[in-house]
Amino acid sequence: MSRTGPERASSAAGAAPMIDIRHVRKQFDVRGGGEALVLDDINLSIAANQFLSIVGRSGCGKTTLLNIIAGLDAASGGEVLIAGRRVVGPGQGQGMVFQQHALFPWLTALENVVFGARSLPLAKAEKIDRARELLQLVGLEASAGKYPREMSGGMQQRIAIARALALDPDILLMDEPFGALDELTRIEMQQELLRIWEARRKTVVFITHSIGEALTLSDRVILLAPHPGRVARDIAIDLPRPRSRTDRRFNEFYEQIWSGLSS
Amino acid sequence: MRSGSRMGDAMWGLAGILIVLAAWELATRLGAIDPTIFPGPIAAIRSAAQRLPASVFLDNMAWSLFRVVGGFILGAVAGTVIGFAAGWYRGFGYFARPLIELLRPIPPLAWIPLAIIWFGLGEPSKFFIVFLGAFFPIVTSAYHGITHVDPSLIRASRSFGLKGLGMLFHVGIPASAPDLATGLRIGWGLSFGVLVAAELIAANRGLGFMIMNERTSGGSVSVIIVGILLIGLLNLVTDAALAAFIRRWIGRWHGG
Ligand SMILES: Nc1ncnc2c1ncn2[C@@H]1O[C@H](COP(=O)(O)OP(=O)(O)O)[C@@H](O)[C@H]1O
Ligand SMILES: [Mg+2]
Repeated sequence: MSRTGPERASSAAGAAPMIDIRHVRKQFDVRGGGEALVLDDINLSIAANQFLSIVGRSGCGKTTLLNIIAGLDAASGGEVLIAGRRVVGPGQGQGMVFQQHALFPWLTALENVVFGARSLPLAKAEKIDRARELLQLVGLEASAGKYPREMSGGMQQRIAIARALALDPDILLMDEPFGALDELTRIEMQQELLRIWEARRKTVVFITHSIGEALTLSDRVILLAPHPGRVARDIAIDLPRPRSRTDRRFNEFYEQIWSGLSS
Repeated sequence: MRSGSRMGDAMWGLAGILIVLAAWELATRLGAIDPTIFPGPIAAIRSAAQRLPASVFLDNMAWSLFRVVGGFILGAVAGTVIGFAAGWYRGFGYFARPLIELLRPIPPLAWIPLAIIWFGLGEPSKFFIVFLGAFFPIVTSAYHGITHVDPSLIRASRSFGLKGLGMLFHVGIPASAPDLATGLRIGWGLSFGVLVAAELIAANRGLGFMIMNERTSGGSVSVIIVGILLIGLLNLVTDAALAAFIRRWIGRWHGG
């Protein structure tokens, strides 16, 4: 690959990818014998601070791929490198936001965010300070003492983002985080996420089944084709932000992705 | 249920009790039931108080409460620890569960003869029977709770670096609290029931003994009636206290 050539590597800043997915394959044992190939030879290089979305039909292996990057699941073949180090488990700079917020119901908003920082070598008071700062970042400092069941879906998802950020991860992995929200809340959350991404500069891998959402947010959109999951298209979205859904080029990208998905 | 209606519900409940008491009293006054075998509440309390001093009632109540609390705590601790361990550690689960399933169907009262042989007529045999009453519902609910933790919470905690004992204490156990709480309440009620039954059969103090002794020694039916009412009252009050404790413990995050 030209990327590894000496001239390229020295010329572009941060040329070594933040996430390097190499020949990743995943198969599951099927009940009653046999194996199902879910991911086949996935190769992706994701630069630092890039906002990348993965779009694909449900069941095509998006969550499986994200779990492998997160170190929550092992690949059957190939490897994932984060900043050059092979992923062997969680805690290598990956912060995760799950589809169903997955907040701990017995902890308050603040305690959930503090939980996110639990593996950091900080004093308890510092973790609490950091958590308060993050609650402020997601606009929920007033709800610090609320329990998840006392909050709306949008608030819960904000807390989940703050909790993932508490780990101070280089990478934010998000699995259809806004899938369960109503349209208005969803658009608000997208704006919020872009604001946070600009403020904190993370590498984001964002899974969605909404083409509009992927186009609103991303520098780059990957189309995952099913059976087995593989990269079908890799599209750079070179539109300035904030993006408008009525923009001509936005719609051209939309058509391009739609045709890729429906083919 | 929301706390706003809790007061209202209590008022209705109290009204129901008062109506039944009044009907009972009325029925004896009108001669609808024979007061020599079933005196009215006022007459029963009056003649029971004449027959035995209040300290005797209190003493027997204290003994019953002591036994039920002691046996319940033993059963709750053992049930919780064994239930969590069997659900969290596969190997231990395979070993312990068949044993628990084998013993569970045996009614605790069937153990009384053995309990007397092993522990004599003293307190340990009562503790043992009460222990059995508490242990089975609690071990079952602890096991159920820890084996039904939302897998997404397990995943989330792994993504924050938790594993092993840390995950058990920070995720497994708190997630199981609502199930465990249900088991504790069922266990408390059962403990109470088996204790009184055990006292009816083999004891020389306690509420169960008091009412049975009154019958076998040809005493007063009034004392029996007051004793039964006291058993109900003691169970009611302590169960309400346990429910309040559980609400403070998990009510805010779990609801109810
Ligand atoms: N633990 C598992 N065991 C067996 N099959 C699985 C498992 N997890 C996922 N799969 C299968 O892998 C495929 C991809 O799943 P997933 O990654 O969740 O898809 P997506 O997130 O794109 O909807 C699905 O067909 C699913 O049934
Ligand atoms: Mg998925």
